[in-house]
Amino acid sequence: MIIDVNAYLGPFAFRHLRYQAADQLLTLMDSRGIDRAIVSSAAAITYRNPHPANTDLAAEVAHHPDRFIPFAVINPAYAGWADDLASCIDLGFRGLRLYPKWHNYELMSGLCLDLIDRATDRGMIISIPMRVEDPRQRSWLVDVPNVPLTELADLVAARPKARFHFVNGRGFTGSVLGQPENGLPANYRIEISLLNVHLNDEVETLIANLGPDRLLFGTGMPFQYPDPALAKIEVLAPDDVLKAQLLYQNAAEWLDPPIS
Amino acid sequence: MIDCHAHLHHHSQDDWERRDRNLIEVADRLGIDQLCCSMLTPRRPATPEGFRQCNAWVAEAINRFPDRVLGYSYVNPGHQAEAIDEIRRCVEDRGFIGVKLYNEHRCTDPVVVPIIELAIELRVPILHHAGHMHYVPPEQPLISDGGHLAELARRYPEAMLICAHVCGGGDWEWTIKSLRHAPNVMLDLSGSVIDDGVVEMAAEVLGVDRLLFGCDMSMTAGVGRIRAAHLDDEAKTRILGTNMRSLLQRRAS
Repeated sequence: MIIDVNAYLGPFAFRHLRYQAADQLLTLMDSRGIDRAIVSSAAAITYRNPHPANTDLAAEVAHHPDRFIPFAVINPAYAGWADDLASCIDLGFRGLRLYPKWHNYELMSGLCLDLIDRATDRGMIISIPMRVEDPRQRSWLVDVPNVPLTELADLVAARPKARFHFVNGRGFTGSVLGQPENGLPANYRIEISLLNVHLNDEVETLIANLGPDRLLFGTGMPFQYPDPALAKIEVLAPDDVLKAQLLYQNAAEWLDPPIS
Repeated sequence: MIDCHAHLHHHSQDDWERRDRNLIEVADRLGIDQLCCSMLTPRRPATPEGFRQCNAWVAEAINRFPDRVLGYSYVNPGHQAEAIDEIRRCVEDRGFIGVKLYNEHRCTDPVVVPIIELAIELRVPILHHAGHMHYVPPEQPLISDGGHLAELARRYPEAMLICAHVCGGGDWEWTIKSLRHAPNVMLDLSGSVIDDGVVEMAAEVLGVDRLLFGCDMSMTAGVGRIRAAHLDDEAKTRILGTNMRSLLQRRAS
Protein backbone atom coordinates (compact mmCIF):
# COMPACT_ATOMS: atom_id res chain seq x y z
CA MET A 1 0.00 0.00 0.00
CA ILE A 2 1.31 3.45 -0.93
CA ILE A 3 -0.46 6.78 -0.49
CA ASP A 4 0.96 9.78 -2.33
CA VAL A 5 -0.02 13.02 -0.58
CA ASN A 6 1.26 15.33 -3.32
CA ALA A 7 -0.14 14.82 -6.83
CA TYR A 8 -1.89 16.97 -9.42
CA LEU A 9 -4.31 16.80 -12.33
CA GLY A 10 -4.79 19.22 -15.18
CA PRO A 11 -2.44 21.44 -17.18
CA PHE A 12 0.16 23.85 -15.81
CA ALA A 13 0.71 27.25 -17.38
CA PHE A 14 4.45 27.10 -17.87
CA ARG A 15 5.30 23.53 -18.79
CA HIS A 16 3.73 20.55 -20.48
CA LEU A 17 2.82 17.78 -18.04
CA ARG A 18 2.74 14.31 -19.55
CA TYR A 19 0.32 12.72 -17.08
CA GLN A 20 -2.15 15.52 -16.53
CA ALA A 21 -5.35 13.52 -17.19
CA ALA A 22 -6.78 11.13 -14.60
CA ASP A 23 -6.33 8.01 -16.73
CA GLN A 24 -2.71 8.99 -17.47
CA LEU A 25 -1.92 9.60 -13.82
CA LEU A 26 -3.56 6.31 -12.86
CA THR A 27 -1.36 4.49 -15.35
CA LEU A 28 1.71 6.08 -13.80
CA MET A 29 0.50 5.30 -10.28
CA ASP A 30 -0.14 1.67 -11.22
CA SER A 31 3.32 1.33 -12.72
CA ARG A 32 4.85 2.40 -9.39
CA GLY A 33 2.49 0.57 -7.04
CA ILE A 34 0.91 3.77 -5.75
CA ASP A 35 -2.61 2.98 -4.62
CA ARG A 36 -4.05 6.37 -3.75
CA ALA A 37 -3.12 9.97 -4.31
CA ILE A 38 -4.17 13.30 -2.91
CA VAL A 39 -4.72 15.43 -6.01
CA SER A 40 -5.34 19.11 -6.63
CA SER A 41 -5.62 21.12 -9.82
CA ALA A 42 -2.41 22.32 -11.47
CA ALA A 43 -4.41 24.76 -13.62
CA ALA A 44 -5.84 26.47 -10.53
CA ILE A 45 -2.38 27.73 -9.61
CA THR A 46 -2.50 30.38 -12.34
CA TYR A 47 -6.23 30.83 -12.91
CA ARG A 48 -7.42 34.19 -11.61
CA ASN A 49 -10.65 32.49 -10.53
CA PRO A 50 -9.53 29.02 -9.44
CA HIS A 51 -12.94 27.51 -8.83
CA PRO A 52 -13.67 26.19 -12.34
CA ALA A 53 -10.47 24.18 -12.02
CA ASN A 54 -11.84 22.62 -8.85
CA THR A 55 -15.03 21.57 -10.60
CA ASP A 56 -12.98 20.16 -13.50
CA LEU A 57 -10.94 18.18 -10.98
CA ALA A 58 -14.08 16.89 -9.24
CA ALA A 59 -15.38 15.59 -12.56
CA GLU A 60 -12.07 13.86 -13.30
CA VAL A 61 -11.80 12.11 -9.96
CA ALA A 62 -15.50 11.19 -9.67
CA HIS A 63 -14.92 8.00 -11.64
CA HIS A 64 -12.09 6.90 -9.34
CA PRO A 65 -13.12 7.61 -5.75
CA ASP A 66 -11.06 4.67 -4.56
CA ARG A 67 -7.86 6.11 -6.04
CA PHE A 68 -8.00 9.92 -5.78
CA ILE A 69 -8.49 12.14 -2.74
CA PRO A 70 -9.32 15.63 -4.04
CA PHE A 71 -8.06 18.82 -2.44
CA ALA A 72 -9.56 22.19 -3.44
CA VAL A 73 -7.52 25.24 -4.45
CA ILE A 74 -9.15 28.27 -2.86
CA ASN A 75 -7.93 31.86 -3.05
CA PRO A 76 -9.28 33.76 -0.04
CA ALA A 77 -8.39 37.07 -1.67
CA TYR A 78 -10.76 36.41 -4.57
CA ALA A 79 -14.46 37.17 -4.57
CA GLY A 80 -16.80 34.36 -3.62
CA TRP A 81 -14.25 32.11 -1.94
CA ALA A 82 -16.63 31.11 0.85
CA ASP A 83 -19.18 29.97 -1.71
CA ASP A 84 -16.43 28.09 -3.54
CA LEU A 85 -15.38 26.37 -0.32
CA ALA A 86 -18.95 25.30 0.39
CA SER A 87 -19.28 24.00 -3.16
CA CYS A 88 -16.04 22.02 -2.84
CA ILE A 89 -17.18 20.46 0.43
CA ASP A 90 -20.40 19.39 -1.32
CA LEU A 91 -18.28 17.93 -4.12
CA GLY A 92 -16.38 15.76 -1.64
CA PHE A 93 -13.07 17.61 -1.37
CA ARG A 94 -11.11 16.45 1.68
CA GLY A 95 -8.62 19.26 1.96
CA LEU A 96 -7.45 22.67 0.80
CA ARG A 97 -4.45 23.69 -1.24
CA LEU A 98 -3.19 27.23 -0.57
CA TYR A 99 -0.84 29.20 -2.84
CA PRO A 100 -0.30 32.45 -0.90
CA LYS A 101 2.56 33.71 -3.06
CA TRP A 102 0.99 32.82 -6.41
CA HIS A 103 -2.39 34.21 -5.35
CA ASN A 104 -0.92 37.22 -3.58
CA TYR A 105 -2.22 37.13 -0.03
CA GLU A 106 -0.73 36.69 3.42
CA LEU A 107 -1.21 33.43 5.27
CA MET A 108 -1.84 35.37 8.46
CA SER A 109 -4.37 37.72 6.86
CA GLY A 110 -7.85 37.75 8.31
CA LEU A 111 -9.41 36.29 5.17
CA CYS A 112 -6.95 33.40 5.00
CA LEU A 113 -7.37 32.60 8.68
CA ASP A 114 -11.14 32.69 8.19
CA LEU A 115 -10.80 30.20 5.30
CA ILE A 116 -8.58 27.94 7.41
CA ASP A 117 -11.01 28.06 10.32
CA ARG A 118 -13.99 27.16 8.15
CA ALA A 119 -12.09 24.32 6.48
CA THR A 120 -10.85 23.06 9.85
CA ASP A 121 -14.41 23.01 11.18
CA ARG A 122 -15.31 20.76 8.25
CA GLY A 123 -12.44 18.37 8.92
CA MET A 124 -10.30 19.45 5.95
CA ILE A 125 -6.50 19.29 5.86
CA ILE A 126 -4.73 22.52 4.90
CA SER A 127 -2.02 21.74 2.36
CA ILE A 128 0.59 24.37 1.48
CA PRO A 129 3.29 23.89 -1.16
CA MET A 130 6.46 25.83 -0.40
CA ARG A 131 6.94 26.14 -4.13
CA VAL A 132 5.50 24.95 -7.43
CA GLU A 133 8.70 24.74 -9.48
CA ASP A 134 12.34 25.14 -8.65
CA PRO A 135 12.95 28.90 -8.53
CA ARG A 136 15.91 28.60 -10.89
CA GLN A 137 13.63 27.62 -13.77
CA ARG A 138 10.80 30.08 -13.29
CA SER A 139 9.34 31.78 -16.34
CA TRP A 140 10.27 35.30 -17.31
CA LEU A 141 6.60 36.15 -16.71
CA VAL A 142 6.54 35.42 -13.02
CA ASP A 143 8.76 36.01 -10.04
CA VAL A 144 6.96 34.13 -7.30
CA PRO A 145 9.03 33.48 -4.18
CA ASN A 146 8.92 30.32 -2.11
CA VAL A 147 6.73 30.38 0.99
CA PRO A 148 9.15 31.07 3.86
CA LEU A 149 9.22 28.44 6.58
CA THR A 150 8.90 31.17 9.19
CA GLU A 151 5.46 32.03 7.80
CA LEU A 152 4.41 28.41 8.07
CA ALA A 153 5.66 28.25 11.65
CA ASP A 154 3.68 31.35 12.57
CA LEU A 155 0.58 29.82 10.99
CA VAL A 156 0.74 26.47 12.78
CA ALA A 157 1.18 28.31 16.07
CA ALA A 158 -1.77 30.57 15.32
CA ARG A 159 -4.15 27.74 14.41
CA PRO A 160 -3.41 24.78 16.71
CA LYS A 161 -6.67 23.01 15.85
CA ALA A 162 -5.99 23.01 12.12
CA ARG A 163 -4.10 20.14 10.45
CA PHE A 164 -1.39 21.33 8.09
CA HIS A 165 0.43 19.41 5.44
CA PHE A 166 3.50 21.03 3.83
CA VAL A 167 4.66 19.81 0.43
CA ASN A 168 7.48 20.59 -2.03
CA GLY A 169 9.61 21.87 0.81
CA ARG A 170 13.12 21.51 2.10
CA GLY A 171 15.31 23.12 4.71
CA PHE A 172 13.06 22.18 7.61
CA THR A 173 15.97 21.11 9.78
CA GLY A 174 17.20 24.69 9.74
CA SER A 175 13.79 25.97 10.80
CA VAL A 176 11.89 25.88 14.06
CA LEU A 177 9.46 23.55 12.26
CA GLY A 178 12.09 20.81 12.26
CA GLN A 179 13.42 21.30 15.77
CA PRO A 180 12.59 18.98 18.69
CA GLU A 181 10.40 20.38 21.46
CA ASN A 182 9.93 23.51 19.41
CA GLY A 183 6.92 24.82 21.27
CA LEU A 184 4.71 24.37 18.21
CA PRO A 185 1.61 22.22 18.21
CA ALA A 186 2.08 18.85 16.51
CA ASN A 187 -0.51 19.88 13.94
CA TYR A 188 1.64 19.65 10.83
CA ARG A 189 3.09 16.96 8.62
CA ILE A 190 5.93 17.27 6.10
CA GLU A 191 6.01 15.62 2.68
CA ILE A 192 9.34 14.15 1.58
CA SER A 193 9.63 14.60 -2.21
CA LEU A 194 12.27 17.35 -2.03
CA LEU A 195 13.91 16.46 1.25
CA ASN A 196 17.46 15.12 1.33
CA VAL A 197 18.32 11.72 2.69
CA HIS A 198 21.71 10.71 4.04
CA LEU A 199 23.99 13.32 2.55
CA ASN A 200 22.33 16.15 4.44
CA ASP A 201 20.38 13.81 6.68
CA GLU A 202 17.23 15.92 6.47
CA VAL A 203 14.72 13.09 6.62
CA GLU A 204 16.69 11.24 9.29
CA THR A 205 16.97 14.40 11.38
CA LEU A 206 13.26 15.15 11.08
CA ILE A 207 12.39 11.62 12.15
CA ALA A 208 14.67 11.99 15.16
CA ASN A 209 13.43 15.47 16.04
CA LEU A 210 9.71 15.20 15.35
CA GLY A 211 9.02 11.48 15.38
CA PRO A 212 8.47 8.98 12.56
CA ASP A 213 4.76 9.79 12.27
CA ARG A 214 5.30 13.37 11.09
CA LEU A 215 6.57 12.62 7.58
CA LEU A 216 4.40 11.74 4.59
CA PHE A 217 5.28 10.09 1.31
CA GLY A 218 4.71 12.30 -1.72
CA THR A 219 6.01 12.48 -5.25
CA GLY A 220 4.83 15.72 -6.86
CA MET A 221 3.50 13.77 -9.85
CA PRO A 222 3.10 14.64 -12.66
CA PHE A 223 5.38 17.67 -12.24
CA GLN A 224 8.03 15.32 -10.89
CA TYR A 225 9.13 11.75 -11.43
CA PRO A 226 7.83 9.45 -8.67
CA ASP A 227 10.96 7.31 -8.52
CA PRO A 228 13.22 9.66 -6.55
CA ALA A 229 10.76 9.62 -3.64
CA LEU A 230 10.58 5.84 -3.83
CA ALA A 231 14.38 5.66 -3.91
CA LYS A 232 14.46 7.76 -0.74
CA ILE A 233 12.35 5.23 1.09
CA GLU A 234 14.52 2.43 -0.31
CA VAL A 235 17.77 3.84 1.04
CA LEU A 236 16.27 5.22 4.23
CA ALA A 237 14.04 2.52 5.59
CA PRO A 238 15.35 -0.99 5.36
CA ASP A 239 13.03 -2.02 8.17
CA ASP A 240 9.45 -2.70 7.19
CA VAL A 241 7.90 -0.87 10.14
CA LEU A 242 9.33 2.52 9.26
CA LYS A 243 8.79 1.90 5.56
CA ALA A 244 5.09 1.20 6.11
CA GLN A 245 4.73 4.29 8.27
CA LEU A 246 6.24 6.52 5.62
CA LEU A 247 4.61 4.95 2.59
CA TYR A 248 1.03 4.92 3.83
CA GLN A 249 0.26 4.61 7.54
CA ASN A 250 1.05 8.20 8.45
CA ALA A 251 -1.06 9.54 5.59
CA ALA A 252 -3.91 7.13 6.25
CA GLU A 253 -4.07 8.18 9.88
CA TRP A 254 -3.70 11.86 9.09
CA LEU A 255 -6.75 11.94 6.88
CA ASP A 256 -10.07 12.35 8.64
CA PRO A 257 -11.77 9.96 8.57
CA PRO A 258 -8.70 7.75 8.31
CA ILE A 259 -8.25 5.59 5.25
CA SER A 260 -8.42 1.90 6.00
CA MET B 1 27.28 2.98 -12.89
CA ILE B 2 29.46 6.08 -13.10
CA ASP B 3 28.34 9.34 -11.50
CA CYS B 4 29.81 11.94 -13.85
CA HIS B 5 29.39 14.83 -11.41
CA ALA B 6 30.19 14.54 -7.72
CA HIS B 7 32.03 16.60 -5.13
CA LEU B 8 34.27 15.86 -2.22
CA HIS B 9 34.03 18.01 0.87
CA HIS B 10 36.48 20.80 1.52
CA HIS B 11 38.67 20.13 4.51
CA SER B 12 37.70 23.38 6.15
CA GLN B 13 34.47 21.57 7.09
CA ASP B 14 34.93 19.85 10.45
CA ASP B 15 33.14 16.70 9.35
CA TRP B 16 34.61 16.43 5.83
CA GLU B 17 35.91 12.92 6.43
CA ARG B 18 32.54 11.59 7.61
CA ARG B 19 30.76 13.31 4.72
CA ASP B 20 33.16 11.85 2.15
CA ARG B 21 32.69 8.40 3.64
CA ASN B 22 28.92 8.94 3.65
CA LEU B 23 29.06 9.80 -0.05
CA ILE B 24 30.62 6.43 -0.79
CA GLU B 25 28.15 4.61 1.46
CA VAL B 26 25.14 6.17 -0.26
CA ALA B 27 26.71 5.31 -3.61
CA ASP B 28 27.01 1.73 -2.37
CA ARG B 29 23.32 1.60 -1.46
CA LEU B 30 22.28 2.91 -4.85
CA GLY B 31 24.64 0.76 -6.88
CA ILE B 32 26.91 3.57 -8.07
CA ASP B 33 30.34 2.10 -8.80
CA GLN B 34 32.44 5.19 -9.47
CA LEU B 35 32.11 8.89 -8.76
CA CYS B 36 33.86 11.57 -10.84
CA CYS B 37 34.69 14.11 -8.18
CA SER B 38 35.99 17.62 -7.93
CA MET B 39 36.45 19.83 -4.92
CA LEU B 40 35.68 23.53 -5.08
CA THR B 41 37.15 26.27 -2.94
CA PRO B 42 34.64 27.63 -0.43
CA ARG B 43 35.34 31.14 -1.66
CA ARG B 44 35.49 32.00 -5.32
CA PRO B 45 37.03 33.17 -7.56
CA ALA B 46 39.53 30.53 -6.61
CA THR B 47 43.15 31.44 -6.08
CA PRO B 48 45.93 29.18 -7.39
CA GLU B 49 46.72 28.17 -3.82
CA GLY B 50 43.06 27.37 -3.29
CA PHE B 51 42.55 25.17 -6.33
CA ARG B 52 45.90 23.43 -5.87
CA GLN B 53 44.91 22.54 -2.32
CA CYS B 54 41.53 21.21 -3.45
CA ASN B 55 43.09 19.05 -6.13
CA ALA B 56 45.67 17.69 -3.69
CA TRP B 57 42.84 16.62 -1.39
CA VAL B 58 41.02 14.99 -4.32
CA ALA B 59 44.22 13.07 -5.05
CA GLU B 60 44.24 11.87 -1.44
CA ALA B 61 40.65 10.75 -1.75
CA ILE B 62 41.47 8.78 -4.89
CA ASN B 63 43.99 6.85 -2.77
CA ARG B 64 41.56 6.56 0.13
CA PHE B 65 38.78 5.16 -2.07
CA PRO B 66 40.68 3.29 -4.79
CA ASP B 67 38.70 2.67 -7.95
CA ARG B 68 35.67 4.46 -6.48
CA VAL B 69 36.73 8.09 -6.79
CA LEU B 70 37.91 9.58 -10.08
CA GLY B 71 39.23 13.12 -10.09
CA TYR B 72 38.54 16.27 -12.05
CA SER B 73 41.13 19.00 -11.80
CA TYR B 74 39.38 22.19 -10.72
CA VAL B 75 41.05 25.44 -11.80
CA ASN B 76 40.23 29.10 -12.26
CA PRO B 77 41.15 29.97 -15.88
CA GLY B 78 41.81 33.56 -14.81
CA HIS B 79 45.10 32.37 -13.32
CA GLN B 80 46.12 31.01 -16.64
CA ALA B 81 49.70 29.82 -16.18
CA GLU B 82 48.96 28.26 -12.79
CA ALA B 83 45.82 26.61 -14.17
CA ILE B 84 47.71 25.06 -17.07
CA ASP B 85 50.44 23.75 -14.77
CA GLU B 86 47.86 22.35 -12.38
CA ILE B 87 45.87 20.53 -15.05
CA ARG B 88 49.06 18.95 -16.41
CA ARG B 89 50.13 17.85 -12.93
CA CYS B 90 46.69 16.41 -12.13
CA VAL B 91 46.12 14.60 -15.42
CA GLU B 92 49.63 13.47 -16.26
CA ASP B 93 50.99 12.72 -12.77
CA ARG B 94 47.94 12.00 -10.65
CA GLY B 95 45.75 10.24 -13.19
CA PHE B 96 42.86 12.71 -13.02
CA ILE B 97 40.20 12.13 -15.65
CA GLY B 98 39.34 15.65 -16.68
CA VAL B 99 38.91 19.31 -15.90
CA LYS B 100 36.22 21.04 -13.89
CA LEU B 101 35.44 24.67 -14.64
CA TYR B 102 33.02 26.73 -12.58
CA ASN B 103 31.66 30.22 -13.11
CA GLU B 104 34.73 32.42 -12.66
CA HIS B 105 34.70 33.05 -16.42
CA ARG B 106 32.14 32.38 -19.11
CA CYS B 107 33.25 29.40 -21.18
CA THR B 108 33.54 31.53 -24.34
CA ASP B 109 35.86 34.05 -22.65
CA PRO B 110 39.25 34.10 -24.46
CA VAL B 111 40.97 33.48 -21.14
CA VAL B 112 39.54 29.96 -21.19
CA VAL B 113 41.03 29.12 -24.59
CA PRO B 114 44.38 27.68 -23.33
CA ILE B 115 42.46 25.39 -20.95
CA ILE B 116 40.33 24.10 -23.84
CA GLU B 117 43.37 23.55 -26.01
CA LEU B 118 45.21 21.70 -23.24
CA ALA B 119 42.19 19.45 -22.62
CA ILE B 120 42.10 18.70 -26.35
CA GLU B 121 45.80 17.85 -26.27
CA LEU B 122 45.37 15.57 -23.24
CA ARG B 123 42.11 14.22 -24.68
CA VAL B 124 40.21 14.68 -21.41
CA PRO B 125 36.71 16.11 -20.93
CA ILE B 126 35.83 19.44 -19.38
CA LEU B 127 32.87 19.41 -17.02
CA HIS B 128 31.54 22.96 -17.15
CA HIS B 129 29.15 24.42 -14.59
CA ALA B 130 26.11 25.70 -16.46
CA GLY B 131 22.58 26.92 -16.13
CA HIS B 132 20.00 28.94 -18.01
CA MET B 133 17.93 31.12 -15.72
CA HIS B 134 15.48 33.67 -17.08
CA TYR B 135 16.40 35.75 -14.05
CA VAL B 136 20.20 35.91 -14.11
CA PRO B 137 21.47 34.97 -10.65
CA PRO B 138 23.32 38.01 -9.26
CA GLU B 139 25.83 35.80 -7.50
CA GLN B 140 26.78 34.15 -10.82
CA PRO B 141 26.96 36.92 -13.43
CA LEU B 142 29.34 34.89 -15.62
CA ILE B 143 27.55 31.58 -15.49
CA SER B 144 27.65 29.74 -18.83
CA ASP B 145 24.59 28.09 -20.33
CA GLY B 146 23.97 25.48 -22.99
CA GLY B 147 24.11 28.14 -25.69
CA HIS B 148 27.56 29.26 -24.61
CA LEU B 149 28.77 25.67 -24.52
CA ALA B 150 27.32 25.06 -27.98
CA GLU B 151 29.22 28.09 -29.26
CA LEU B 152 32.44 26.88 -27.66
CA ALA B 153 31.87 23.43 -29.17
CA ARG B 154 31.44 24.98 -32.62
CA ARG B 155 34.81 26.74 -32.25
CA TYR B 156 36.53 23.61 -30.89
CA PRO B 157 34.89 20.52 -32.38
CA GLU B 158 37.69 18.31 -30.98
CA ALA B 159 36.92 19.36 -27.41
CA MET B 160 34.98 16.99 -25.16
CA LEU B 161 32.60 19.21 -23.25
CA ILE B 162 30.11 18.25 -20.58
CA CYS B 163 27.28 20.68 -19.86
CA ALA B 164 26.76 20.33 -16.12
CA HIS B 165 23.62 19.49 -14.19
CA VAL B 166 20.73 20.13 -16.54
CA CYS B 167 18.49 19.31 -13.57
CA GLY B 168 20.04 21.96 -11.40
CA GLY B 169 20.54 24.67 -13.97
CA GLY B 170 17.27 26.42 -14.55
CA ASP B 171 15.18 25.98 -17.68
CA TRP B 172 16.12 22.46 -18.74
CA GLU B 173 13.99 22.53 -21.88
CA TRP B 174 15.97 25.57 -23.07
CA THR B 175 19.26 23.86 -22.28
CA ILE B 176 18.39 20.68 -24.14
CA LYS B 177 17.16 22.57 -27.22
CA SER B 178 20.24 24.81 -27.24
CA LEU B 179 22.57 21.81 -27.42
CA ARG B 180 20.88 19.97 -30.29
CA HIS B 181 23.45 20.98 -32.92
CA ALA B 182 26.53 20.70 -30.71
CA PRO B 183 27.48 17.02 -31.02
CA ASN B 184 30.64 17.29 -28.94
CA VAL B 185 28.76 18.51 -25.89
CA MET B 186 27.57 15.78 -23.57
CA LEU B 187 24.72 16.53 -21.19
CA ASP B 188 25.13 15.75 -17.49
CA LEU B 189 21.69 14.87 -16.11
CA SER B 190 22.52 15.64 -12.48
CA GLY B 191 20.87 18.06 -10.08
CA SER B 192 18.22 18.24 -7.40
CA VAL B 193 15.31 19.01 -9.75
CA ILE B 194 13.28 15.86 -10.39
CA ASP B 195 10.96 17.18 -13.09
CA ASP B 196 9.15 14.54 -15.08
CA GLY B 197 10.21 14.12 -18.69
CA VAL B 198 13.68 15.64 -18.68
CA VAL B 199 15.52 12.41 -19.48
CA GLU B 200 13.13 11.44 -22.26
CA MET B 201 13.30 14.88 -23.87
CA ALA B 202 17.08 14.87 -23.69
CA ALA B 203 17.19 11.40 -25.27
CA GLU B 204 14.85 12.44 -28.05
CA VAL B 205 16.59 15.73 -28.89
CA LEU B 206 20.24 14.80 -28.28
CA GLY B 207 20.26 11.00 -28.49
CA VAL B 208 21.09 8.68 -25.61
CA ASP B 209 24.78 8.56 -26.52
CA ARG B 210 25.17 12.19 -25.44
CA LEU B 211 23.66 11.72 -21.99
CA LEU B 212 25.58 11.10 -18.78
CA PHE B 213 24.22 9.91 -15.48
CA GLY B 214 25.10 12.20 -12.60
CA CYS B 215 23.90 13.22 -9.18
CA ASP B 216 25.81 16.35 -8.10
CA MET B 217 25.19 15.06 -4.58
CA SER B 218 21.42 14.66 -5.08
CA MET B 219 21.76 10.90 -5.07
CA THR B 220 18.18 9.65 -5.00
CA ALA B 221 17.20 12.28 -7.56
CA GLY B 222 19.97 11.19 -9.89
CA VAL B 223 19.20 7.50 -9.67
CA GLY B 224 15.43 7.99 -9.51
CA ARG B 225 15.15 9.96 -12.73
CA ILE B 226 16.98 7.28 -14.70
CA ARG B 227 14.86 4.54 -13.18
CA ALA B 228 11.75 6.55 -14.07
CA ALA B 229 12.62 7.33 -17.67
CA HIS B 230 10.73 5.60 -20.46
CA LEU B 231 13.84 4.24 -22.15
CA ASP B 232 14.88 0.68 -22.79
CA ASP B 233 17.51 -1.07 -20.70
CA GLU B 234 20.23 -0.65 -23.30
CA ALA B 235 19.70 3.10 -23.41
CA LYS B 236 19.79 3.30 -19.63
CA THR B 237 22.98 1.25 -19.53
CA ARG B 238 24.64 3.71 -21.88
CA ILE B 239 23.52 6.68 -19.83
CA LEU B 240 24.46 5.09 -16.52
CA GLY B 241 28.01 4.25 -17.45
CA THR B 242 28.89 3.24 -21.00
CA ASN B 243 28.92 6.78 -22.37
CA MET B 244 31.16 8.14 -19.61
CA ARG B 245 33.48 5.16 -19.91
CA SER B 246 33.81 5.79 -23.64
CA LEU B 247 34.61 9.43 -22.98
CA LEU B 248 37.31 8.50 -20.48
CA GLN B 249 38.87 5.96 -22.82
CA ARG B 250 39.67 8.67 -25.33
CA ARG B 251 42.40 10.17 -23.18
CA ALA B 252 46.01 10.18 -24.32
CA SER B 253 48.00 7.38 -22.70
